[in-house]
Amino acid sequence: MQLEATNVLNPFSVVVLPTTKARSVFPGFPLLNPSASIKPSGDNPLPLQKMSSLILRRSSLLSRNPSLSRHFLTGLSSSLSKAHSHHLLPSNHGLKVLASGCHFPANNITGSSSVSVGTSKFSCGSQLGIINSLCGRLFGSQAAVEPSTSDGLTVEGILANQWTIFEESESDWKSHASAIAQSIHVIKRRLQWKSLIVRLEMLSAQLDKPDLWDDPVRAGKISREHGSLMSRMKEVKAFEQELLEHIDMIKLAREEDDADLQSESMKALLEMRRSAKEKELEAMLSGEHDSCSCFIEVQAGAGGTESMDWASMVMKMYKMWAQRHGYGVTIVDEMPGEIAGIKRATIKVDGEYAYGYAKAEVGVHRLVRCSPFDSAKRRHTSFSAVAVIPILGDTSTHVQINESDLRIDRFRAGGAGGQHVNTTESAVRITHIPTGVTASCQNERSQHQNKASAMTVLQARLDQLEMARQAQMNAQHTQSLTEISWGNQIRTYVLHPYRMVKDLRTNYEVSDPDSVLEGDIDSFILSFLSSALDKDEDYS
Amino acid sequence: MRLGLARRSLSMFPPILTRAYSVQPISRTSISPPPASLKPQTPLFLRPPTHSATISDLLKWQKWAKTLASSVGSHFTHLDDGPDTTLLHRELNWLLQDALENPKLPLSHVGTNEVVKLRAEMEDLYVLWKQRIEERRPFQYVVGCEHWRDLVLSVEEGVLIPRPETELIVDLVGGLVKENEELREGLWADLGTGSGALAIGIARILGPFGSVIATDLSPVAVAVASYNVQRYNLQDKIEIKLGSWFEPLKNVKGQFVGLVSNPPYIPSNHIRGLQAEVAKHEPRLALDGGSNGMDDLLHLCHGASSMLKRGGFFAFETNGEKQCKFLVDYMQKECDGSFCDVDIVSDFAGNKRFVTGFSGP
Repeated sequence: MQLEATNVLNPFSVVVLPTTKARSVFPGFPLLNPSASIKPSGDNPLPLQKMSSLILRRSSLLSRNPSLSRHFLTGLSSSLSKAHSHHLLPSNHGLKVLASGCHFPANNITGSSSVSVGTSKFSCGSQLGIINSLCGRLFGSQAAVEPSTSDGLTVEGILANQWTIFEESESDWKSHASAIAQSIHVIKRRLQWKSLIVRLEMLSAQLDKPDLWDDPVRAGKISREHGSLMSRMKEVKAFEQELLEHIDMIKLAREEDDADLQSESMKALLEMRRSAKEKELEAMLSGEHDSCSCFIEVQAGAGGTESMDWASMVMKMYKMWAQRHGYGVTIVDEMPGEIAGIKRATIKVDGEYAYGYAKAEVGVHRLVRCSPFDSAKRRHTSFSAVAVIPILGDTSTHVQINESDLRIDRFRAGGAGGQHVNTTESAVRITHIPTGVTASCQNERSQHQNKASAMTVLQARLDQLEMARQAQMNAQHTQSLTEISWGNQIRTYVLHPYRMVKDLRTNYEVSDPDSVLEGDIDSFILSFLSSALDKDEDYS
Repeated sequence: MRLGLARRSLSMFPPILTRAYSVQPISRTSISPPPASLKPQTPLFLRPPTHSATISDLLKWQKWAKTLASSVGSHFTHLDDGPDTTLLHRELNWLLQDALENPKLPLSHVGTNEVVKLRAEMEDLYVLWKQRIEERRPFQYVVGCEHWRDLVLSVEEGVLIPRPETELIVDLVGGLVKENEELREGLWADLGTGSGALAIGIARILGPFGSVIATDLSPVAVAVASYNVQRYNLQDKIEIKLGSWFEPLKNVKGQFVGLVSNPPYIPSNHIRGLQAEVAKHEPRLALDGGSNGMDDLLHLCHGASSMLKRGGFFAFETNGEKQCKFLVDYMQKECDGSFCDVDIVSDFAGNKRFVTGFSGP
């Protein structure tokens, strides 16, 4: 049984996206029913099997859609079995999760919950009216400027028609068109379409000013941003136009009874439907620095060894998450706790879109469990703060660092040094004197490498500081560790008295903390990213 | 393949100097050609992964090694400024990385019955770590290499392990050659090259016509330095010569645009009190600078002016402020205006470490 959750008729299925969309587009992310789909049925779930099954699922989907693979660089070889469970229908458990993770009025969920019935065609039934009126309200005002088919059908018109969406294999142009129109709707929302238009107008106005090039650096920046936003907008518009043209062609083919033309256009629509899913994902990671590599920093909260142990569990979770995705992981800085765990640590995560995903993890993570460090086995609550810093690829945007502004300290300084001492300790700490920002590294094996590594951290911190300064007006920057207040909790991990991980921002939750702590956090990341982007219904 | 060093006894006697020098200190004038048998050892991380072990055996070893390292606490640090547990744990990770065929492999991700390929036998890993802790054998000799700047240099008993302080000399030279074509494309000397660190570091920042001659009195050092030079494919740019200081350079007198050296500079009577890794394991030849540590530095000082072209640069590493000041003073007063712009440069720890300058007024 091969059934894609995206086939459900629900104009807002994408809003419920952490499950519905990511399932088909995002093969590496086992969203529906995370625990059941990952765990092999045996009593000893081997992590390797787990990974291989992920890979298999991934590769089977990637083969259908090869360009997706760049989102999933994975260096692991595929093998083993356990691949099929994931293609099955979501269980009720998965849907329960879905429902709680959804930002929509609860009655919308009934539309998608019919998925579990197991038939391949659905309708939204009682929800139609609500959605209809919603759509009308949302899109009516824009209809005048929208491109349309020869008989006046617009993309929003398609949405409003509520045509049933069948599986891809069903040759029904209305179904394809409706699916594509929904994707366009999602893409626009993710690109923050209305703000995009406003921003573009503003940039165009500035570009028209005669004194623009008096400040060539600023002018360059403005024209680059204008170009990039413009091309995004054009791409979406071209996509809309293409959809409408194909519909025209199909109608024409029907009138003229041209079977060849009809099947050709149908194929083209199907092709569009597939690439639309990919574009949805791209739109989710369309932030300026999303494609960058990043640093992930974890710091233990108050509470001694228990809290330091928690910090090291969180760090391990990210290391394993990064490794699952084939990202390179390097420990840059690590300050171990006296008895166990870490006080603080920084890792570098290398790979495309590492920042785009990891930024969803910024904030305070809370653990509730019986502490193994408490002889009385009492229940403890601990906190760890997580910060994520992008490593800007474009060197022209780097903050200039003056060598003379730096103070470079070697740890364990003092003593005679030189030939007197043979130590593999070559830790370096660099302080940027004007800002007081510091970075240190001690895990490389030479001082030179430690210094180079600390410099990249310092550069990223200063860049982040500058970005924060520039972005204060739109408040879109990610915070550094020092800025993260301990009240800013984003997720709770409960190991006792019951077992659950719950994201406080999206209400997304799972009942299997072990797999989450082994790095299976994609569902959390995607539900957060999509809810952050998709909750604004009017594209603003 | 067995580790050459692993079979050595774990007795009280330091397991060093496979090729012991018969006389200490070595006379610096009578040089015999290196024995033909001198074949440098291959660092652990470059050995073929012909051994294997199950993950559970490896984890068992790791646990044992960690416990052994934990038992050290800060005992060595109090004793003689030696390594503490944190550092030893880090070294343990590095040893594991070097021994694994695939160092990136996260052990925790693999089933315990899986077999991984190793570059040394399990048994040898036990011996090596025991040597590290119980005999204070320097970690770099244990794994046969030292990470220095962006290089990984082969080292073994009989060759000084290059220090992080010395990395700065390459930075100093780098700053100069960027601005000065004559220095960039000229002939440099590294005197007492040891593992070849400075020669290789400098050769990599010179221009296409620049080259380096490196000398060392120790045949082991010459063999190891040659090995390292070949590893970095610099044999066309670096010539390694056996002999004391300037002796092997007689036919190129006055042709150098730069001289660098990290000569022995520790006063003889200090050597015994150094941390065990240094005192018991590193070659005395590379450490002992005579009664006040200045013997070789002064020798270099005298030779430098006749070896360097006018405007040529020199940089010598010293024991610290006292030696730096003495040397600067000596150059200004006794060397009759052969040097100019003589300066003292501090290392990262803030110790006055290097004396630099140029030849000619």
